[in-house]
Order: sequence, then C-alpha cells, then structure tokens
Amino acid sequence: MKPYHDRAFVSIETIQRGFADVGYVCSPQIATTLYLAYHLGKPILVEGPAGVGKTELAKASANYLGAPLIRLQCYEGLDESKALYEWKYGKQLLYTQILKDKLNEVMQGAEDIASSIDRLRQYNDIFFSSDFLEPRPLLKALQQEAGAVLLVDEVDKSDQEFEAFLLEMLSDFQVSIPEIGTIRADLKPFVVLTSNNTREMSEALKRRCLHLFIPFPDAKLERAIIQTHVPDLSDDLRRQLVSFIQQARDLDLKKAPSVSETIDWAKVLVLLHASSLNPDLVRETLNVFLKFEEDIETVEEHLYGLTRKAIETV
Amino acid sequence: MTEQVLQDLITALRRSGVRISLSESIDAVSAAKLIGYGDRTTLRDSLAATLAKSQPEKEIFNTCFDLFFSLHDFPDGEGTDGLLCGTAIDSPLTQMVLSGDRAGLSMAMHEAGEHVEIRGIRFFTQKSLYIQKVMKHMGIEGLDGDMRRFQREKTLTSQQKAEALRQARAELYERVRDFVERQYRLFAHFATEEMILRYLRDARLSHIERQDFHRIHTLVRKMVKRLNDVHSRRKKRAKRGSLDFKKTLRDNLGYQGLLFEQRWRAERVDRPDILALCDVSRSVQAVARFMLLFLYSLNEAVAKIRSFIFCSNLVEVSHIFQEHPVEEALERLQNGRNLSIQLGRTDYGQAFRDFKEKWLDLVTNKTTVLILGDARSNYGNPETGILKLLHERSKRVMWLNPEPPTFWGTGDSEMKRYLPYCFLVRECSTVNHLDRIVDFLLKTR
Repeated sequence: MKPYHDRAFVSIETIQRGFADVGYVCSPQIATTLYLAYHLGKPILVEGPAGVGKTELAKASANYLGAPLIRLQCYEGLDESKALYEWKYGKQLLYTQILKDKLNEVMQGAEDIASSIDRLRQYNDIFFSSDFLEPRPLLKALQQEAGAVLLVDEVDKSDQEFEAFLLEMLSDFQVSIPEIGTIRADLKPFVVLTSNNTREMSEALKRRCLHLFIPFPDAKLERAIIQTHVPDLSDDLRRQLVSFIQQARDLDLKKAPSVSETIDWAKVLVLLHASSLNPDLVRETLNVFLKFEEDIETVEEHLYGLTRKAIETV
Repeated sequence: MTEQVLQDLITALRRSGVRISLSESIDAVSAAKLIGYGDRTTLRDSLAATLAKSQPEKEIFNTCFDLFFSLHDFPDGEGTDGLLCGTAIDSPLTQMVLSGDRAGLSMAMHEAGEHVEIRGIRFFTQKSLYIQKVMKHMGIEGLDGDMRRFQREKTLTSQQKAEALRQARAELYERVRDFVERQYRLFAHFATEEMILRYLRDARLSHIERQDFHRIHTLVRKMVKRLNDVHSRRKKRAKRGSLDFKKTLRDNLGYQGLLFEQRWRAERVDRPDILALCDVSRSVQAVARFMLLFLYSLNEAVAKIRSFIFCSNLVEVSHIFQEHPVEEALERLQNGRNLSIQLGRTDYGQAFRDFKEKWLDLVTNKTTVLILGDARSNYGNPETGILKLLHERSKRVMWLNPEPPTFWGTGDSEMKRYLPYCFLVRECSTVNHLDRIVDFLLKTR
C-alpha cells in the first residue's frame, strides 16, 4: 500500500472513525485487527455466522482506502485458470491468421527448416507475452499500481488444492507463470478472506493470516449499525427492533436473523410508516428476517412476550 | 523482558491445546510491539488475532489471557506503617509486609515464581511443594526469624509487631497459594486432562467407568474429526492407460484441435457401504456402543451405514440413529426400549439365520459386513454356512472381537470356526483399536 494509505491507518481510533464514515460500524476488535493487518502486511481471515458483514468489511476497506476492490468468489472446482490467469487462445489464433502473410514474408529466403526456426527465434515468444495474458482476480490484484483490496470470498467452498495454491500468493504476494516468470506485487494488496466454516481451513492457511471472528453484534453496536444504514428510523423504534431481534436470536432457530436482515426489516418498517412495534405488525413482517417456515412458527409462539419485552426496553 | 512474558503466555496456550507455530509467535511479538502494553483490551484483541485461529481457540485464549495477566495479587489493604520503626535487622520481606508494599510483594512473588520455574508444574499434588518453594525464595525464613525475635522481646510494640507479622504471614500464604493455583490452572490443568485422555485411549472399553464416558465421547469426536478430514474428499482412481477422448478434444479446442494435452479417464471411488452387526450381550455391550458412536459420527459423506444388533435374535436399528441424535440413540439401544430384541442367551446361529431370512438382499459386492462380537454362542449351531454365504456375496467380511486372540476358540467361542470366512479378524477392545479399524475401513474402499 502507498504511503498516503498510512495516514488512514495511523491509529485504531482513526480506523474506527473512518470506517464509520463509509458506513461500516466496526467494533474495537475489528478495528484492531485491521490495524494489525495493515501494519504487519498480513491477510485477514474473517469467520462468523452468515450476514454479519464479513464481505461488507472488505468492501468498506476498499471504500475507505479509495482502492479498487477485486473479488474472487470461491466455489467447488475453482482452479488456476479462473483465479489467476489464462492465455487468450482466441486472440492468439486470430493474430496468427492475420499475420500469416507477414510470417511468409519473414520466412522468405530461408533455405531449410533450421534457418527458418532461427529466424522465428528472433521474434521471441511474442504469442506468449503479457499481451495475450488474461489476468484473473489474483493476478489483477498484484498488478494494481495504486494498491488494491483483494477479497477472497467464501474460501471454505473451494477445494483443498486451491487452498494450497493460495499459500504462495498469500505469503509472498507473488505468482509464477511458467511462460513469463514470477510476477511480484509492487504494492502488497490488502487481502481479506472470508469463511462460513463449512469446513475447517488448513493450518498452513491459518498460519499465514490474522484471524478475526465476527459474532452477532451486541445491542449497542447493532443499534449503531441500524442508525448508519437506516437513518430515517425513529430512536424508539430502533431500540424496540434491536431488542426484538436480539431476543429472537436466543430462540432455537434454524437460521438466526442476521444483521443484514435486521437492516432489511428496519427499511420495511420505515416504508410502512410504523412508529412502534406491535404484535400484528411483527407477525405480518416476520418473513423479512426469518427465512424458514419452522422459524416463523417458533417466533409466532413467543410473539407476544417478545414484543412486550421489546417495547418495555424503551 | 516483555518477550519472555509473551513466550510464557504462548507456552501456557500450547499446553492448553492451542496450536501455535513459530511464525505465529513472531507475529504476536511484532503485534505487541506495534500496539504496546498500554491498553489491555487492545492487546488482548491483537494477540487473539495472531495466536488463536478458531472459535474454540479464542475461548481458551481468553481464559488463559485473563489468568495470565491478572494483576490483583494483593488486594488493597491497610499497611501497618505505625509499627515500622525501621529496625535495620528486619528482613526485606518483613519490611515489605509491615509497610503494606503490595507492588513490591507482587513483584517478589512473580520473581520467586520465575526462579523456582513454576512453569514446570504438572500435577495438583505438586501445588504445596511449589507454595513452599515460592515462600522460601521470597524470604519467609527471615520473616519467621523476625517474628520469633519479636515474640521473645517482652515490650508491647514488639508483641504487636509479632501479632501483625503472624496475620501478614497467613495472608501472604493465601496469596501465594492463589498464585500457585493460578499457575497450575494455566500450565497444568489441560495437560492433566490430556494425560487422562491418553490413558483412556488404551484402556479396555469394557472396564471403563460410567463417569469417563463423556471423556471417551470427546476422544471419539476428536478421532472422528481427524478421520473426516482425511477421508472426506471424493477419491478418484485413475484408470491407467485409458484416454478420455471427449474430454481431451474439449480441452484442446484452444490449440485449434491439436491434441497437446491428453486427459485420462478416472473412476470415482465409492463411499464404503457398511453393514454393522453388533452383539449387545453384556460382554460386548460397551465396545458395541462406542463402535456405533464411531460409525455414526462419521460424516454422511464418508460412509453409508446400516446397523443391526443381536443377542438371541437380530433386529435392525438404523432408524433409531436416523430419528435421534447419536448419543440419545445409544442410550435407547442400551436399554432396548421399543425394540423387539430378546436379551437372553447369545445365539450367533439364530442371528445369522434372521439376517439371511430378512436382509440378505442388502449384501452386494460393494458391501463391507462388519461383525462385532466375541463369538461365544453357548454351544449352539454356529451356522458357519451362512457366514460363508456372506463372505461370497459381499466385498469383505470383517470380524472385530473384544477378546484377545489367545482366548479365541476356548470354551464356547466359535471364533476359530468363523475365521476362514473372514477377510480380516482383529482384536478390538480399546478406542485406539476402533480408530485404527475405522481408518482401515475408509482407506481401503
């Protein structure tokens, strides 16, 4: 990263304030990890339940730094040619066709095969130069001159082979391309990996990263988040809503409502011009933050109790 | 100095089961340098980011950190300044105690801990030894000497001093005990647990006390996790020398159809298909319990299992495992409720006959038949013919016997007669045996 980025990461408080400005409320823990990651030049491995803002963290970092965000979405079967680079086969073929006459010209006068090969050699490996290289996210991140934020999303979905392949990239910030050589980053990109814990990441990968676990936020933090994202919501209603969601998370649900779903719900309530929670309103809008029929039934059972408690918190 | 402190913390974490590599400890040191020791929470967050790399590890880390950096060794109390008339012959400890120099005492205690290498503490029986050592290094003998001297002098002030010292000594003892206790919890608690687990690995399952069951469950969970990690990837076996022509054509389109890169055929290796037949008579019950725990804890992706239990007759129990979580299912099997099993005399012949009658269709050339039992059939007809049939129909028959090989074939044991029709017969009486067998099962699909 460039020296002018240093100013953005001068202290933990600066980071917290700066991220709040771009719409990401981060806990001291998150800010500390960001600070360390920047100054130690290490990738961050972010884990936590779905919808707590893991991906959002990378987007906010890019926003905050004013650097491009380069995203690599992992899935089963992802391989080098999709993550790192690929030769532009089509372009290579097209060029050889177009240049056929030119090639004939070059070859004219060569008596035997040996001398024509000699002549060809003068032109080096033009067809395997960077002009014909299609950079994929990882290579692109290394090539950015002004630095970049690289997001490797849901790295747990990728295969173990790919994880091993990431190691070189993450520890030395360089990749090897057999035809060209090793490409090294002038400016180390700021790397964020996210994982939903569908499988345990390897020790080697963890060793190279700082580890950050983002849990569901506590009530205070969640209120701050809602305030940033849905400023139109009244203070009282925000308190009620956050209290309701926090209680709902304690129930035995298949999928607990995430922060992004809380935000959605807040937006819905603004659209409905609600001024306070009441059981009927909640029942009608349950499906905004609960995505399973069983969960909706479970919450409906406790609806009156939860709503009453939520209203009492104000 | 500070690096030594971090090193100690890392040692404590490692002992508690957090895996920390060298590069991670270097990261921790540079992080601590960057952050400084000023703010406790920030320091904790940054060390957590560099050292603890999963949710359970974070919890261990927080406990260790709090134990390690607890600073309230000596609670605020009043110093007995009035009694300190600066007699030069008093030992340094006496002076510190009487003047209520808490910081000094705390430092002396930590220094003493350092000196007697309290990090080496392993067993709770060593606690009193270490308390004595620490007290001695802090200079308790000087204090005792002073106390005796004051008691001998008959003046009022010295009597008061002696009394104050006696109280202070008792208090000091308490503090040192707390200190040692904390160090023990930091450095040895998990190590002891680890040792018990290591012992349990090789203990005979039939002899294990009920109170250790939960430990065994932890142990099995760990082993199963390892097996899952190793075996959960879909395996492929290359069919050597056979070209996958379609794939080769497709992948070489980029070369204008010139076949630069060949693609070879591979076949997917199937998940093991297991039929488990468990004897649940008293002699084998414990082992059966843990083997079923093992098999059913394995990821669905790793193996397909159907299980049967028998004593006098044979019943299928797979549905119980589908309907209930593993541990509850095991309880249900144990007391045999809602199962039509007769817990009378063990009869292997009857069990085999039942199996042949109702479930023989399940056995295909991909099935592994796993039989767990001591083969003690109360002199009934052993029905070796049915086992032979199973042997011929299935991929293989594996027999696990909780008795050591020297007992096979003695008394009513029919093991020797069953032996020829088994692909593999193993003694299986400890968790370690089970682990090895399941590993073998998954390895040789």
